Amino acid sequence: MSDKNRSLGRFLKKVFFVDLIQGLAITLPYTFSKTITLRYPDDEKWIPYKRFRGLHTLNKNKDGKELCVGCELCQKACPTQCITVIPGEDKTGKGISDRIGYRWEIDLLRCMYCGLCEDACPTEALKLGREYELAGFSVQRQIRTKDELLNPQEIPVDFEGGVIVKARLVTDDKGIKVKADMSVQKKWW
Amino acid sequence: MIEQIFFLIFAIIAVGSAVAVVSFRNPVHSVISLLVCFIQMAALFVMLRSPFLAAVQIFVYVGAVLVLFLFVIMMIDIRKASMERFVPGGHFWPVAILIVLVIEMVVIISKSKLEAVLVASPLRLDGSVKEMGEALFSKYILPFEVVSFILLVALLGAIVLGRKELK
Amino acid sequence: MLEVLLIILKVVVITMVMFSLPLPLTYMERKVAGHIQVRLGPMRVGPHGILQPFADMIKLLFKEDVVPAKADAWLFRIAPVVSMIPVFAVFATVPFGDKFTIPFINKEVTMYIADMNVGILYVLAVAGLSVYGTILGGWASNSKYALLGGLRASAQMISYELALSFSCIGIVMVVNSLSLLDIVKSQAGWHWNIFYQPLGFIIFFIGGLAEINRIPFDLIEDEGTLGAGYHAEYSSMRFAFFMLTEYVAMVSMSVIMVLLYFGGWDGPSFIPLPGIIWFILKVVFFVYVFMWTRFTYPRYRYDQLMSIGWKILLPLSLVNILITGLVVI
Repeated sequence: MSDKNRSLGRFLKKVFFVDLIQGLAITLPYTFSKTITLRYPDDEKWIPYKRFRGLHTLNKNKDGKELCVGCELCQKACPTQCITVIPGEDKTGKGISDRIGYRWEIDLLRCMYCGLCEDACPTEALKLGREYELAGFSVQRQIRTKDELLNPQEIPVDFEGGVIVKARLVTDDKGIKVKADMSVQKKWW
Repeated sequence: MIEQIFFLIFAIIAVGSAVAVVSFRNPVHSVISLLVCFIQMAALFVMLRSPFLAAVQIFVYVGAVLVLFLFVIMMIDIRKASMERFVPGGHFWPVAILIVLVIEMVVIISKSKLEAVLVASPLRLDGSVKEMGEALFSKYILPFEVVSFILLVALLGAIVLGRKELK
Repeated sequence: MLEVLLIILKVVVITMVMFSLPLPLTYMERKVAGHIQVRLGPMRVGPHGILQPFADMIKLLFKEDVVPAKADAWLFRIAPVVSMIPVFAVFATVPFGDKFTIPFINKEVTMYIADMNVGILYVLAVAGLSVYGTILGGWASNSKYALLGGLRASAQMISYELALSFSCIGIVMVVNSLSLLDIVKSQAGWHWNIFYQPLGFIIFFIGGLAEINRIPFDLIEDEGTLGAGYHAEYSSMRFAFFMLTEYVAMVSMSVIMVLLYFGGWDGPSFIPLPGIIWFILKVVFFVYVFMWTRFTYPRYRYDQLMSIGWKILLPLSLVNILITGLVVI
């Protein structure tokens, strides 16, 4: 009897298109639900967490002195040999000791953002920051030097991250940047 | 006046495309010509104040029969088919039959009143489907049933022919 | 003279409207697709991507019109036009509304081009013709995928046209007329045919989906197995013509559905809206339903398509005729 009932139920289900209507009932609410699209370059931008490994930054201490002492350990640690460090003597008190990185260059085309240089650094001068828009119009531009890396990045170091902020796309001869407006924040989801 | 001009246009295209049906080498092109011919005939039906027949002509012949033709013909190897002769053997028999048919046509046309076609249909149905249905199912019920019976027989014959041989 | 001018004017207006309809419809389709899939759809061209159809149009206009070397060039060229003309011709008998009077010259204008007394037959017959474009385009491309698409189109058309027209017979029996105008007028005041012919409507809807080759019956362009099917070799404006045909066919199928089953321009009397607005609303609703089903269901297999058509829809439509006949008598 129950078997007969079940087959009757299945037949009725087919006759009244129950499965098909259930399918339509699933897609209809989705039509009006909130989308999960991140409108990245135009409107919104994802701010990564602190652990993110992006473009390198060279830190300074509280007094504004360069922490890099030109020890070349990052150069040694680098698996792709994209870091070039030439140490130099400096008595002007730019750095924390009289030895500083005279030249400190990174070839971003070869860097794979493994973070080994960061681990190797004894003075915590080197840190992989949170900038990830590295597209540019020239190969030359992809070799970043010390002067540039010493400038603080757009996202503050103590900012927690993991949010979406308002942003706008800026294209200039330096490359493509998405300027973030940190004041308008949105939680993911 | 306007009606006659339109009649001439449709008739000429119909005859021309009918000639094209048999003269094209490529079977698909032939079917297209047949399509044009049928549509012109539908237009002629409209001119005879019989839109129902015209619609049925398009519906049945153009919409279904020719689609089936195309379906079959598209399967044929066109390059081979277009090389083959229509009639095996010499040119004598086809030409002889053609001449006989032409003579027959000339005789029939010369005996009939051509104006009847060119002016208007004597039996004015005024396009009403109702009248047509009543005529079909009362006055012409026997021919109608005979035709449907013949079609049924043809259908059965097709099934018998198309059936796989049972062993 | 004025009558002739009026008819020409009506033809021009309807043709222009139909030509421009695919623009909003492609936009709508992409937006519906996007939102059903929890995306946004086109967003970047213009505010909310509203100019996207124009961008697409410009792109298609400027692309190269490729004719494959071994294609049947003549048929290949005319096939898109062949498929386009019938879907436009359908609108010759479609009544968009009853009559209205032009205010200043006091002239009564009917909202249809012609009221044929075999309107429903004409609409079904002519709508079926556009399949020739598909078949010829598929054959003339001289490509196996396109040919398979064309073959599928012809077989599918024959199978579903039958059920489609049989389901209309029920309506003709109820209304006692083949004229679309009479059919609509007989439904005035909530006597919509959907209430009298629910089975007929279901058959008509499914058959209509197959007739205009929408998912779940779009086997003729089946991306999964045929890689675009009949228009695999087409590019540029000829491809656009096929797209145009698809969208206008979708509109025409919705229009026919509204006319036959949903009372045309008849709306609930407690909301005072002009008839044409009701008509458009209903048509847009059905176009939306077509899109909605498209992005909900997967595609049927070809043998399933055939067995649905011949083993289910056709017997059901005969049963529908039988029941209607018994009730009417």
